[in-house]
Amino acid sequence: MSDNHWTVVPRLLLLLLAAAAWPSVLAAQSVCLPAPRLLTTMPMGGKAGTTVDVTITGEHLEDLDELRFSHPKIQATQKLAADGTPLANQYAVTIAPDCPEGIHEARIMTRLGISSSRVFSVGALKETSSTTPNTQLETAMPLEVNSVCNGKMTSKAVDFYTVAAKQGERLIISCAAQGIDSKLKPVLIVADEQGNDLRVERRGGAIDFMPEADGQYVIKVHDLTFSGGPYHFYRLAVQQIPAEAVAPQFAATRNVNAFSWPPANWNDDQIASEQEPNNTAEQVQQITLPCDISGSFYPAADVDAFEFTAKKGDVWWVEVASERLGLPTDPSIVVQRVQGTGDEAALVDVVELTDIPSPIKVSSNGYSYDGPCYNAGSADINGKVDIPEDGVYRLQLTDLFGGTRNDPRNVYRLIIRQAQPDFAVVGWALHMNLRNGDRNALSKPIALRGGATMAMEVIAIRRDGFAGPIELAVDNLPPGVSASGLTIPAGKSRGILLFTAEENAPRGLTSANFVGKAEINGVAVTRNGSMASMAWPVTNAWSEIPSPRLLADFPVSVGGAEVAPLSIAAAQDQVWEVTAGQTLTIPLVHTRRCEFSGPSMSLKTFGHGFEGNAAFDLKLTEDSSEATLDLAKLKPAPGTYTIAFYGSAVAKYSEHPNAVAVAEVALQLAQKEAAEAAKPLTTDEPTTDEEKQAAEAAAKEAAARQKAATAAVAAAEKELQAATKKGAPKDIVDIVVSKPIEIRVVPAVEVTQK
Amino acid sequence: MMVLPTRHSIWGKWRCGVLGAAFALLISPMVSAAETTPEKVSFVNDVVPVLTKAGCNMGTCHAKAGGGQNGFQLSLLGFEAAEDYESIVRESRGRRLFPPVPKESLLLLKAAAETPHGGGVRLPKDSEGYELIRRWISQGAAYRPEADPDLQSIEVQSDRSLINMGQQQQLKAIATFSDGSQRDVTSFALFESNSEAMAEVSADGLVKIHDIPGRVAIMLRYQDKSAVFTAAVPLGASVGDLPAPKNFVDELVFANLTEIGIPPSPVCDDATFMRRISLDLAGRLPTAEEAKAFLASTEPNKRDQLIDRLLRSPGYADFFANKWTSLLKNRRDDASDITSNFAFHAWIRDSLLENLPYDQMVRQLLAATGTVVANPPVAWYKRVKEPKEQLEDVAQLFLGVRLQCAQCHHHPFERWSQDDYYSLSAFFSQIGRKPSDTRGEDLIFHKRGIAAATNVKTGVALKPAALGDDVGAIPADRDPRLRLADWLAKPDNPFFAKALVNRYWKHFFKRGLIEPEDDIRDTNPPSNPELLAALEAHFIESGYDLKALVRVITQSKAYQLSALPNEYNLVDEQNYSRYYPRRMQAEVMLDAVNDLTASPTNFANLPPGTRAVGLPDNSYNNSSLFLRVFGRPDNSSVCECERVQSSSLAQSLHLINSAEIKTKLSAAQGRAATLVSADVPPEEKIREIYLVAFSREPDPNEMEIALDYLQQIPTDAAGNPLGADQAARQNFQDLIWAIMNSKEFLFNH
Repeated sequence: MSDNHWTVVPRLLLLLLAAAAWPSVLAAQSVCLPAPRLLTTMPMGGKAGTTVDVTITGEHLEDLDELRFSHPKIQATQKLAADGTPLANQYAVTIAPDCPEGIHEARIMTRLGISSSRVFSVGALKETSSTTPNTQLETAMPLEVNSVCNGKMTSKAVDFYTVAAKQGERLIISCAAQGIDSKLKPVLIVADEQGNDLRVERRGGAIDFMPEADGQYVIKVHDLTFSGGPYHFYRLAVQQIPAEAVAPQFAATRNVNAFSWPPANWNDDQIASEQEPNNTAEQVQQITLPCDISGSFYPAADVDAFEFTAKKGDVWWVEVASERLGLPTDPSIVVQRVQGTGDEAALVDVVELTDIPSPIKVSSNGYSYDGPCYNAGSADINGKVDIPEDGVYRLQLTDLFGGTRNDPRNVYRLIIRQAQPDFAVVGWALHMNLRNGDRNALSKPIALRGGATMAMEVIAIRRDGFAGPIELAVDNLPPGVSASGLTIPAGKSRGILLFTAEENAPRGLTSANFVGKAEINGVAVTRNGSMASMAWPVTNAWSEIPSPRLLADFPVSVGGAEVAPLSIAAAQDQVWEVTAGQTLTIPLVHTRRCEFSGPSMSLKTFGHGFEGNAAFDLKLTEDSSEATLDLAKLKPAPGTYTIAFYGSAVAKYSEHPNAVAVAEVALQLAQKEAAEAAKPLTTDEPTTDEEKQAAEAAAKEAAARQKAATAAVAAAEKELQAATKKGAPKDIVDIVVSKPIEIRVVPAVEVTQK
Repeated sequence: MMVLPTRHSIWGKWRCGVLGAAFALLISPMVSAAETTPEKVSFVNDVVPVLTKAGCNMGTCHAKAGGGQNGFQLSLLGFEAAEDYESIVRESRGRRLFPPVPKESLLLLKAAAETPHGGGVRLPKDSEGYELIRRWISQGAAYRPEADPDLQSIEVQSDRSLINMGQQQQLKAIATFSDGSQRDVTSFALFESNSEAMAEVSADGLVKIHDIPGRVAIMLRYQDKSAVFTAAVPLGASVGDLPAPKNFVDELVFANLTEIGIPPSPVCDDATFMRRISLDLAGRLPTAEEAKAFLASTEPNKRDQLIDRLLRSPGYADFFANKWTSLLKNRRDDASDITSNFAFHAWIRDSLLENLPYDQMVRQLLAATGTVVANPPVAWYKRVKEPKEQLEDVAQLFLGVRLQCAQCHHHPFERWSQDDYYSLSAFFSQIGRKPSDTRGEDLIFHKRGIAAATNVKTGVALKPAALGDDVGAIPADRDPRLRLADWLAKPDNPFFAKALVNRYWKHFFKRGLIEPEDDIRDTNPPSNPELLAALEAHFIESGYDLKALVRVITQSKAYQLSALPNEYNLVDEQNYSRYYPRRMQAEVMLDAVNDLTASPTNFANLPPGTRAVGLPDNSYNNSSLFLRVFGRPDNSSVCECERVQSSSLAQSLHLINSAEIKTKLSAAQGRAATLVSADVPPEEKIREIYLVAFSREPDPNEMEIALDYLQQIPTDAAGNPLGADQAARQNFQDLIWAIMNSKEFLFNH
């Protein structure tokens, strides 16, 4: 063994130790194989043009590599101790001066692949961090005006800050939390110097505060239900702005349903403004179609009424964006025909437009998984108005949540256009029912094991009547990884995207591009797709509400350290041809790399035209099986299809078994050092006072060394014990998907002619 | 088990009274109705009142829901005369009447108990009622004779309204009909006193005044009309020199006291005031430092300054939020309720802190839409899900009107019909719900459509109307709840402001100007109508400013009167001639005990130091025996009566000998331990205890007793004297314990 090996071991030990510090890692997961997850960065952001020391924590963060950001203007290097050894989980993050302000995402490359992401904010204000307890008024942390403080909430506590403010100076006190992935539901309080509350904000907004007198003011932050812990982090900003300025807001992650906004090739060129007052028949705002209007649901119970003329047979498409802009609104439209004029005018309902429904059933949070916790639908509007007669029509737009709310920030965008058929697609890692009562809603990074196929569920929102098929594709993948898009068929909204890593795929990481492709009105169009993930690994959506969001980018990786417990593939890599109405039997090969609980697993089929294939069993004790597709029942149209079989299996999974070997080596090293330290000192009997003093000092030093060595052995033993326990096989159920299989269905008539 | 008053229980007593009264009527000589009854007997105007007076159509007899008695069903108190006519004349093939020989009619045989009758004798054969019914049958048992007039109004007549204690007064009931005729219906009217302790009234309207001064109301009802006679009962003493009025509250309270001759107690001293106002406004004891500073202050308006300081303090918001969250049913039934409960409580608390006008608060609650986290008042709709509950809660809480009865029948003591009930329900008919991410929690929105609710009895779909007031047509696009909120906040709304000022008056004076505070009706008049009207006007003019209301009440000399009675006013319980002492409510008392012992109680999910008055919902009752024993409500009713303020043996035992109190007294960081180790003279230590407990210093006698006690050397179980340190600790614990168990501590006075 080389000397170099012995310098590496302590680093690995540090990394293992850091990962083991998180109790959630120790708790064996019985659903889904371990996936690396970056859970916190401290601080959660930095000022552009600075270098920030960042400490990370997470799940399954072992053998760490690059700390990677979604924007290239942010780069990180590992921090080193004075002796040159890496400081576990600590990085120096350099933010370029021209790095865009706002939300970016951090991920860490691990032995299993790329981790899930955590928001990393970049701003223009000075940054500080709350490092000492400040949960009492007496220990309040002073804040400078125009600064951001990164803090972590303690459970059942209130964080105290003080700020010196001047009379008449307008201060905006805001707190980023849920918009930067935090579990904190922040309550912001401005209090007087004695801590008596003056102003409170509990709905995630800012406090716009103008002190009545010069003095010290107290800012308190706590969670709505006084929850706390490392995942309840926040960024508290105190900014002074001019009296007439618009209050700044922290940038926030986007909700999943924002993927369908804006429409492609959309701009602000033709934008018009809502003209208040336009609430009543007398005040109605005249518009000409098509139009693009920006307005706001303000004041409370605001009704925005627009009137236009239209001709019988016209079809107008109406789209409203407000909730998809991240606002707590629920727009509603009624279009009415105006019959008569003036006082005689009567209104006849033509159509009522409300939500954009989710194209698939969303989780009902019932006993078991019954749909994804991702909702592609929205409270916004995208609907059609068929004009029944020539005449004048009135469109009334209201916010169903705005009856008593006076907030001009609740804006909307209203577009009325002739049909511009189009689509938008969003994908997320597939979930399915893995056991009784399973409500897991985990964040699942694309960190592939060799031989694994991972499925993403893709949903399309179709615009203005577009009904054609949508092809799904991904490019810029790591070596050894392929992606298969299972087409979203005509008129449907759900497709599947499969990522497959070859068994020997090397460790790799790329930023992939996901697109949807379709032919619209004879023109081939490609639309960039969005990807979404859970912000947190929620193991039980019953006890914790999942928080899905859109991702800024889409990295795909292979860890290279592990292989999938089970790979299923067709026996031959070929296009399987079958005549319509006939039966196709596909021999399957199972590559089993560990034991499984139970003798078999049930497989269903992905892929348009074949999803009705009856579930069939695959023996987990054998290396091959057959899949039979009865085309007489399935009746797919002739053509080429990609399908895959999927189900769930309970693997006896050993987590990071190599860590046991590492720990064993570390223990041997520690024992060796302990043995050395235990050797008696072989020096001559001291005669002089100097010699006696030197001997005493040497003896003391030897005793200390021995003590340290003994402690090191105990620590190494403990580490080995932990690694052994972790590496012991455990039952973990996860989704298993076969390698995609190509099928060509030949028309029966074609055969006859032959 | 806690028994809450039901909508009928309050009147149960009345019904019992009616039974007895009816019987008394039957054996007493008839008054004068015979000559006033027209020749042609009317079922509606004559027979039904006889049946009502005889108690036949009470809820416990033939008006019992689900078939009455033995298949004979009458409408409650005869509100549905047509249905009763059907039952008596036509039902069972007409067997209840025998026109050839009217006295052989089953109706009369049963009423006179000539044939077995579970209700016994209701109409003796020689009674006027019996004769009237016999005549009606003999005349052909018509529903209404030709030109039978409708009852227009009922009036109560009396020679005087000022009646001295011990005197009697005969009341007369005069009915006015649509043809302009008037009839003396005293014999057939029902009478009821609103305070049996002050006055009782016989079945024939003879009022006997007892020995409590004040105002007493006698309600009379005939058919579906009612009227009230209010008597002022003077004590007749000279009121002497009254304190100089601070504001209109004093003027009107003292005017009433002057009129009925009750001299008020003097204005209380500073220490009493400080403790009282801190408890009433912020639900807490003043600290020793606050008490010392206030007592030492020579500022002429220091009381007003203290009121303002307390109103600005978060303690005010916490304490009143505690009151409102209970009434608004902020209940934790499931662990997942925590977020919505905390959010809802916080919304109320923050609204009070920023002094959001009351009408705006109610508007935001009534017309709440969205999610709980984005708009916390939505949480109310999580708790109160059905339109029936919504209208009943809104009526009782914000209007002081109990409408529950009107769901099934005409309100027996009010003008509210089933149409009124369902018209109010219609405001809540367009509430849309969508499931949210939180289980059991809906998003609330206005569901487009014309609001309407169906009267289950008539099957008629009714548009929204607010207790008889037309609110105009509400378009399908508009949330009808906003229209209801508009109506509430109209300056001429007869209920909204009145209900609130009465509720707040009760908060500070223990007794509402109308009692119970949420039963406002014509037949339950206020004890000081001018004062109630003035408070109402002040509140409306202030823009529904709750702090201004509290300020005008608490700045008054009337509020600041001593609780100690003078030689006259001990009997007074409704004229506010003195401060009526109250036991501290559960949360306030727990905080007070914590303050006195300097040993806080920790609550689940809340930061250390959170006070019991700041608890967001009822879930903490489960873990705190103290809160349960002292009657903290479970937030399941809109009635303040859910809070149990009565005393019990369990309460005494808890304070005297519970492990919780012992632990607090002996806490390592507690007051007793701190005082033992403090390097100050014992007199200072005793002063501190008194200032914390009573906001005053001990008088010389108290000081002497306490000093003497502290010098005692207690013995252990074996009779051996304790060591000096242990003895000092125990003595201080004993002293604090004794003070804690004193009425001066346990009561706000």
